[in-house]
Order: sequence, then structure tokens, then C-alpha cells
Amino acid sequence: MAGLRKSRWAAMAIAAAGLSGVSGTPSARAAQPVLQAEQSTVATLPTMSSHWFLPATGSESYTLYNGDTAQILGTLPGDLISNAAFSPDGKTFYVAVTMWARGDHGPREDFLRAYDAHTLALVKEIELPPRALAVYKIQNMDLSQDGHWAYIFDMSPATGITVIDLKAGKVVRTVDTPGCALVFPWKSGGLSSLCGDGSLTNVAVDASGAAKVSHVAPFFDANNDPVFEQSPIDRHAGIAFFITYTGKVFETSLGATPTIGTPWTLSAAAGQPVATTGVQDVAWRPGGKEPFAYQRATRQLYALMHMGTYWTHKREGNEIWVYDTTAHTLLRRIALPADCVGIAVSQDQHPLLYALTGEGKAFVMDAASGKVLHTIDARIGGIALTPDL
Amino acid sequence: MSSLSLFDRLGEKLVRNLAEFSSRRSVLGTVGAAMAAPAFPVLPVARAAEANAAPVPSTQTLTDFERKAQSTDPTKCDYWRHCAIDGLLCGCCGGGIHTCPPGAEPSPVSWIGTCRNPDDGRSYVIAYRDCCGRTTCQTSADCHCNTSDHEMPIYRPQASNDIIWCFGTQTAVYHCSTAAIIGQAG
Repeated sequence: MAGLRKSRWAAMAIAAAGLSGVSGTPSARAAQPVLQAEQSTVATLPTMSSHWFLPATGSESYTLYNGDTAQILGTLPGDLISNAAFSPDGKTFYVAVTMWARGDHGPREDFLRAYDAHTLALVKEIELPPRALAVYKIQNMDLSQDGHWAYIFDMSPATGITVIDLKAGKVVRTVDTPGCALVFPWKSGGLSSLCGDGSLTNVAVDASGAAKVSHVAPFFDANNDPVFEQSPIDRHAGIAFFITYTGKVFETSLGATPTIGTPWTLSAAAGQPVATTGVQDVAWRPGGKEPFAYQRATRQLYALMHMGTYWTHKREGNEIWVYDTTAHTLLRRIALPADCVGIAVSQDQHPLLYALTGEGKAFVMDAASGKVLHTIDARIGGIALTPDL
Repeated sequence: MSSLSLFDRLGEKLVRNLAEFSSRRSVLGTVGAAMAAPAFPVLPVARAAEANAAPVPSTQTLTDFERKAQSTDPTKCDYWRHCAIDGLLCGCCGGGIHTCPPGAEPSPVSWIGTCRNPDDGRSYVIAYRDCCGRTTCQTSADCHCNTSDHEMPIYRPQASNDIIWCFGTQTAVYHCSTAAIIGQAG
């Protein structure tokens, strides 16, 4: 210890000598104003930008970033089994959380928390029935496009959807959706869930919060080529792009009676051999924790791709392929600086593309050119959200 | 907050669903497929356990995982039973391949996988029972596995490995995952 103290003093003496050399003569130092005492203040946020993004970080938070500068704007509490969402008007962040009164035991509590997007102050906590608990499952929760309703997937293990009136700040009802899971909101008036038999269950929610359930016939082979949970949506148009493990894309107009389009295939649209369900069929396939993003302004679909066999649907990707969803053609391929597990894209006219590694990094890219603008290395998780203003 | 335990509420919900079974068959199917307890004797898992030894397939196309799987070290992600596991191996946390670490509680229900044993060439049904009720095991990154042979989305929960499979335990807090043999896959 004594030796350590001595070396510290020596270091401080050297630093002081250096400082006096820089700051000049005693008279020059006297001419500088005396630094004033400071008050502690709290930062606030500007109006929400389309270039903000919200990755899951570490094991206990979502961290809000400005994609233009790669700087942190603030933090929202939320662990691996939480769900986060931006309100469509850009004024509120919602985070659904589950906790136990005494850490790993005690009474369980489930809440939907509302944070003011200007101050990040916690403004409301709505008590929930037990949510479905799964690691990083973005489609476990979503909001209606008018910002009136939140829909949360429950699993106990019987499955259902809890409907929350965000204006009134309370749960309205829980709708049983046996054999079905996840939330894909319509343009207005409800949501659909994917079902284990390859179909959809559709839950119409009227202005009073009353629910009416309808079903459609199976349209995909859930046994042999299931649809990804992370299939992307266009909230404004109420369109889902249901994408299977082999890369078949079912563009679906959601509603009480959904319209399911003829499927096209990611590999074929790129002029590549069609990926099959063969366990030794090496082909380009989508995969990862958050393998898709949809850019509404350009109607472009972003898919995180890798070369692999069937059952590699969770594998990281080394390229992002960008598709024109109208013409069903590949527009460009973006090679990534490192393998990534998740992607996200901003929803403005000059979009930023975010690619997330499994080891804590995020690459912020120009979506049009694929040029890396920033690299963030700060315990970034495998998923990120962007606002859809 | 309800004063009922999660287990009580789970039981109540199951009973209610069973009572309305004509419209809830899929719930029965889902829960049944996932249950490892002997309460439902007609379950696929139970059938697998009772099945006679199935012949070893002579010409079988193996997955990448199956080609590389080993049978000697159950604390590694490439151990053959870990073909569809997502989580921390309890064997790295003070437990074992079918043993929860001290203080944790095994979930009575689980997701299941079908994995091939390289020693005998047979496929077995594996119950990936989570151990619950203790904060997440902090072990080496090598013990955090995420494999996906036959792994399905959450709308096929019995084969989905992202779910916190801590239903029916005192708390649903995740600690680590085990990989118990249920029986030979038919």
C-alpha cells in the first residue's frame, strides 16, 4: 500500500508540473475567470426522431440512441423477458415487465409502464394478468395504430391476448386464443395471431373494447416450414409479411377476413437455388433473433441471410438482402462487417439500417448504400426497435 | 394481486379449459405434448416412453448438429441431448444433465426435442426442463447454448425453446436448463 501511495503522489506531481507548464505565468492564470459552483440538472429529450433506435442492452434495460450520432439519449428499465413499444404519436414509450416482489420469489407482478418521451418520467403503471414469458419476443406486444389499445400475448400455458385501453389506463379484457400466439395488429380495429395449425386467429376489437374472434383456414405448413415469429409488419397499412423458415413470403392484409397473397421466395427472388427443408441442403436462408425489418416508405423488406441447412433459423447472418416487395425482386445485398443476429430500419425517407451482433455491437448504416456510419460497442442485445411516426 | 399461487392459478385455468374442451382441444394438445408428468397417460411423451425399441435407421440424413454431436461431456453445447436447447446448462451451475442446482426447482412441464445419440444411432425424446426459482445462473459463455434442430415458433410451444418453461413452479424465475431422456422417439 505504501508503495502504491508513493507512486500516486509521484504521478500527481508530474501531472501538476505539466499543467503549470501549459497554463503559463501566474498573471495569465489570474486573468482566467474562477469556475463557478454548479447545480445538478436533469436532461430532457427533443421531439422524437425517426432516427432514434431502442436496442435491448445488457440484461436489465433498453437504451435509447440517436442513430445520427450514435450517442445514448436515455435508459428504460426492461430485462430479457420485457417488451417495449413506441407510441405511434411519438410521445410515450411503453414497457411491459414482469417481476417478483422478492427478486427470485414472492408474489408475481406484471405491469405495462408508460414513460413520457420528453422526460423519460414514469407516468403510469397498468397492472396486467400474467404475460407470456419468453426471451426477446418483440411480437409478444404491440399497439394499435391509433395508440388507443395495447395488445399483449399471454401464456399460462393456455394462450390468450390481453387488451389494454391506454387512454383509460386499464385492462379491458383477455381473449382466449387457444393454440395461437403473438400479436400482429391490423390497420385498425384488432389484431391477428399465428396458430399452430398454420392458420390465423383474428381478434376484432371495437371502440368499447369488446372482442370478436374469427379464424382462417391454414395457409402455411406449420409442421414442415413454419412462419417466423419475427415476421415484419406495416402498421399503417395493416400488412404482415409472414415469412417461413425456408424464406417463403406470404404478404397478408390483416383483418377479420385476412387476404393472404400467393407466396414468393427470398432465395428465388434473388436468383438463388430455392432453399428447401433438407437438413443437408445448404442454401441462403433467413435467420437470427430478429431477422427481418420492413421499410414502409420504400416498401422494402430487409432480411438477414446466411448460408446454411434447414433448422438454422436462429443462426446469425453475414449479409442483409433488400427486396422490393411489390416486384418481388432483390434490390441489393449488403455485406456485414461481422455476423449479426438482429436488424432494424428507420421509417423515414432517408433510412438508417441497424445491424446487431451477438456480442454487444451495433452497426449503424446508411440503408441505401450499406455504408457503416457508426459502430457502437456497448452491451447491445440482439433486438432493437425503431419508431414508426 | 391474486393470493393464489401460480400453480393454483395454472391448475384452475387448465381445469376451466378442460371443462370447455370441445373448443379447447388445441390447449390439451399443447399442454399434453409438453407435459412430462404422468397425469395425462395418452401423451406423446408417455407413448414414447412406453414404446418398444425402434429399429435404428440405416440410411438417415443427419443434421449439422447430429454430425458433430459428442456423447462424453454433458457440459458442452454439442453434447448430443442438446440438439434444441436454448439456455444455460444446469451441469455448469451446480446441477447435472437431469438435476437442478441446489435451491432451484424443476419445472414439471417443458419443451421437447428429438435428438440422436451417436453411440447407438437411435433418436430419443428429450425434455428440456428448466430449473426455476433462483436468479439466472452466472456461468461461462461456453455453457450458454442455443441450438435449434426441430425448434419451432412459440405458436408450437411444445417445441419452442425461447419460452421460460417455469409453469407450475413456485416462481417463474429462470435459473438454468436440463435435458432429461423421456424415451426413444418412435
